[in-house]
Amino acid sequence: MLCETIHEVGRCQPFASAGPMQELWLPQSVWLPVLLLAIAALGLALTLLGAASVLGPQRTSAVKAMPYESGMDPIHDTRRRFDIRFHLVAIAFLIFDVEILFLYPWAVASGSPAGVDAVVASAPAATGEVAHATEALVASREIVFGEAMVFIVLLALGFVYAWRKGIFQWR
Amino acid sequence: MVPITVEALIKIAIFLFVMMTAAAYLVLLERWMCAWIQDRKGPNRVGVPLTKIKLFGLGQPLADGLKMILKQEYTPAHVDKVLFTLAPIVILAAALATFAVIPMGSILPADVAFGYLDRPVEMIVAPSVDVGMLYVFALSSLAVYGVILGGWASNNKYGFIGALRSSAQLIAYELPLGLGILGVVLVANSLEPEKIIREQASTGLWFAFAQPLGFLVFLVAAFAEAARLPFDLPEAEQELVGGYHTEYSGIRLLLFLIAEFLHMVTASFLIVILFFGGWHLWGLTGANVTDVTWFQSIARVGVLTVKVLLLILFFMLVRWSWPRFRFDQLMTLAWKVMLPLGLVNLVVVAVTQEYHASIIAALEGLGGQFTLTACIWLVSILSCIAIAIIAPRSGDNRPRFYQLPLRGQA
Repeated sequence: MLCETIHEVGRCQPFASAGPMQELWLPQSVWLPVLLLAIAALGLALTLLGAASVLGPQRTSAVKAMPYESGMDPIHDTRRRFDIRFHLVAIAFLIFDVEILFLYPWAVASGSPAGVDAVVASAPAATGEVAHATEALVASREIVFGEAMVFIVLLALGFVYAWRKGIFQWR
Repeated sequence: MVPITVEALIKIAIFLFVMMTAAAYLVLLERWMCAWIQDRKGPNRVGVPLTKIKLFGLGQPLADGLKMILKQEYTPAHVDKVLFTLAPIVILAAALATFAVIPMGSILPADVAFGYLDRPVEMIVAPSVDVGMLYVFALSSLAVYGVILGGWASNNKYGFIGALRSSAQLIAYELPLGLGILGVVLVANSLEPEKIIREQASTGLWFAFAQPLGFLVFLVAAFAEAARLPFDLPEAEQELVGGYHTEYSGIRLLLFLIAEFLHMVTASFLIVILFFGGWHLWGLTGANVTDVTWFQSIARVGVLTVKVLLLILFFMLVRWSWPRFRFDQLMTLAWKVMLPLGLVNLVVVAVTQEYHASIIAALEGLGGQFTLTACIWLVSILSCIAIAIIAPRSGDNRPRFYQLPLRGQA
């Protein structure tokens, strides 16, 4: 199940106690209603389109089939070269969006004892050094927080660089 | 025992009916509001058919929907036929599927299911999706596909420019949107909307007051993502006819329009859930998670609905009272104003959250949490002023391009 790989094993099974009948249905996933809603939404859109194609008139003419460009005859095809800055925005978006996405796991895990700390706590426990676990926890929190801050500073530096390079300049 | 499939299907049926009706009547409300602002009467004629009963125009949404269905579903000859049909389907399905993880209320009391269920019914289509906000992001990115497919497939220059502008705008404002949410996630330690509401209900301090900067960034980004005025560049009627849906007509146009309207409703829900406490109101709804009474359950639905309606009214008021940005102003606002403000907010929230206990202890004699919140407000206002100084004036209208020499003068 997907949620086991993200965090908090165990709370992702709200339907686990629903009895043996559950086994006959689809996998007990919290994502099943999401899938059903997506199918229902697709069905609604297709039904509307289908109803319109059955009920509506079917007329066409040469002028009706032309692109609407304020009454002018179109001069050339639309798919030609366009401004490079749209490409630059897309690249900048990809970089910053992925970097911000890296911050989400930290944001979710930072406050809970079961998050950041569990990883560090499991290491001394495995080697039998339970006595040092608490000190390791305090140290780990500060290290993780410092690393997150360094990450944000790097992100800000990249942002300043892109700004100085004129990527965000639109005129 | 009721299988989750049946429960989900019942919820989906209720949701689709309510949302479609609500969207239709909100459009009517918007037209009334527009008429009120422009000092005219607005739609007030359509009532019961074949009679003279007018009912203040309440039949208008039904008549509009029926008219759109009875119009020809027309595909012009010059378009890419598959993508042209696919675009409205993608954008509407994505807009509707977003609501799977958005709570419409809290939970119902345990006795509602008359013994068929062994758990309280949560008023959300898909409960317990613990990456809820990421799911919302993923689907709001799909809206970009709908827009750009529609504009590209249209093979129309207005449509193409509208799609380009729209995709640049949507992806540029996705960053402030993500940064605004990040502060909330840091405090609530969860991406699940219901848990974010519970965090605000348990402390009683809504995130709009605790993180004013994050709220500002998210609000502006949400306006831009919903492509409402002052950010409706993709379909600027006065310059681009209809933008990416210039070539669309009939039912496909209706699908685009419903999807755009649903984006606004989604944005209102997200703002309320993330920053205005969702179903929480001091002294009325309580903050308990289990064993709610019937009064609490209904009050929570009412509070959430009223908050969302107020925000939708705010969206509409802004739409009819503000002029549109120019494209370079739009991009300047996204990259040079909102993104730095979002980063400042993230750092402020992270530091106060990490050292919360020691800061409160240090401020013990000075009012504790209240002083901390006041300090955060001060930092927010100062950083807004700093950005206003650093970022170039976006109101600068002087021409910057070289004057090209006229033919014969070169």
